[in-house]
Amino acid sequence: MTTASLSGGPEPRAAAVSLPMRPTGRSWWQTAAVRRLSFGYLLLAPAALYVMLLVGAPFLFSLWLAVSDANVGEPVARFVGLQNFRDAVEMDTFWIAMRNSVVFLVVAAIFKGLLGTLLAFLLLQDFRGKKLIRGLVVIPFTLPVAISVLSWKWMYDSQFSVINWVLHQLGLIGGYGSESWPVWLGQPALALMACIAVNVWRTFPFSAIVLLAGFTAVPLEVLDAAKVDGCSFFQRFRNIVVPMIFPIFMIGFLFDTVFTLSDLSVVYLLTQGGPGNATKILPVLAYQIGIQAGNLGRGAAIALFLVPLLFPMLFLVLRNIKRKEW
Amino acid sequence: MKAPRTDREKSVRRHVLIYAALTPYVFIAVFPIYWMAITAFKHERDLYVMGNIPFWFNLPPTLKNFYTLFYQTNFGSWIVNTMTISAWVAVITLLTAVPAGYALARLRLPGAENIGIAIFMTYLVPSIILFLPLSLVVATLGLQDSWWSLVLVYPTFTIPFCTWLMMGFFKTVPMEMEEAARVDGCGQLGALVRVVLPVSMPGVLTSVIFAFTLSMQDFLYGLAFVAPGDQKPVPVGVPTELIRGDVYFWGSIMAAALLVGLPVAILYNFFLDRFIQGITGGVVK
Repeated sequence: MTTASLSGGPEPRAAAVSLPMRPTGRSWWQTAAVRRLSFGYLLLAPAALYVMLLVGAPFLFSLWLAVSDANVGEPVARFVGLQNFRDAVEMDTFWIAMRNSVVFLVVAAIFKGLLGTLLAFLLLQDFRGKKLIRGLVVIPFTLPVAISVLSWKWMYDSQFSVINWVLHQLGLIGGYGSESWPVWLGQPALALMACIAVNVWRTFPFSAIVLLAGFTAVPLEVLDAAKVDGCSFFQRFRNIVVPMIFPIFMIGFLFDTVFTLSDLSVVYLLTQGGPGNATKILPVLAYQIGIQAGNLGRGAAIALFLVPLLFPMLFLVLRNIKRKEW
Repeated sequence: MKAPRTDREKSVRRHVLIYAALTPYVFIAVFPIYWMAITAFKHERDLYVMGNIPFWFNLPPTLKNFYTLFYQTNFGSWIVNTMTISAWVAVITLLTAVPAGYALARLRLPGAENIGIAIFMTYLVPSIILFLPLSLVVATLGLQDSWWSLVLVYPTFTIPFCTWLMMGFFKTVPMEMEEAARVDGCGQLGALVRVVLPVSMPGVLTSVIFAFTLSMQDFLYGLAFVAPGDQKPVPVGVPTELIRGDVYFWGSIMAAALLVGLPVAILYNFFLDRFIQGITGGVVK
């Protein structure tokens, strides 16, 4: 029974279970281990229950909604199979939203990746006033999203846009009302870019800080050793820095993907998906159909189209988190 | 041929380069705030003039927008709602996440690691998937059109995050402290309450801050669940009540944004590293 602990076995649980049992001769439920476990699960229970009841159950419930004809007016829903998914796929708007979501995600990821990487490198340097500058640069990420988007909406104003004022002063565009006067949120091609720009503005500090956390986790001794051994900057970067920051980079990337794909506030506040359907993305469509039109079933089905996009992400995050011992 | 440079010259050169590269970043990051601030203090007539330079006051600054905000809108209620919601969310989060984090970090529960990851993963289930089923939960409980619905649903993202955060935090408390307390006759609960919790106050405080700042980041739940004007939290009230059809009260909107956004941003700023640590928790120590 105690061979493991006698031979120096590393399993503390075995020792804790087995040692007090014999001499006291108490029943099994009175042992320290059992008390510790029941105490532990008791402490865990409120959080676990909350999450199960208000995240787990609703998630399963949304699967049921998606295959039912539930709507706001009639609470009693019938099973309709995959009808909602079929209806969604037959909507032109759905495909527009799908395309916009993917464009949004990819374009935004490229820009915040580039901006974030450069910023992370800059913040890695030693210079005066670093704390202050870092504090200023991360403001877009720390402002509540609904608040900062309003500021952008004002800057994108069709007539009194400060961006246009500057462009006009520089002679790059004509006066208000002329052909070359951009109406940022009113022209289909510009509107999507304008929304993407706000997302990039909001989240590039996140990319930068995540990458910075990765860079600073690379032990300097290893880099110095490689330098002494004659590795070039590129070799050091390619063979030491990249593999070491890869897991943290992945985590940051995946979190950002999940937040960007599922965020409705930027687009909803700027354009509500318009003009036409130019900026309609899946979350906005799901909200409009599920809440505004009251078609809970189809709304849930549309929201669930995000899952196949998100699950590979969750899986990757999980693997990355578990890979490291802690 | 280059002249040999002194260390000081090198350092100056390096600083100039770094600052030059950082200037656009700072400008892009801060300009919307500046624009918010200047708009908030401008007269309405000053906002809608195209000929003047818009970056400074062309009429003397005014507090009129703030008066409008407090006396002609529900802004006061929104602030109170937001603070009350956040306080409740913080209480619920602390009562659940702190014990759970402790149990997962310290009590060697079988499968603790997987349970911890599973709870944290629920942070990644987006609200856009949950808001429709949750709207029915809210309606069933009779909480629709009241900010209590948000007290119910905000912990769905604060509990996972703060449990994970507290788990990491409790791991850094030396085991010996707890063992010493047990030897001195404390029970399991006694050791937790009298010894571990007091030294974990920074972690507890961090959880409170996140309960607050993460609640402020929500827009969807508030938009979907709370319709009456006086029940809304600030991030929902400002864009939905101060924009009436095509009429934008930009002065007041920006005043509200400034009053609420700036304190939250500053508060969050101090805890940003913890947030990033939380997210990248399993990867970097």
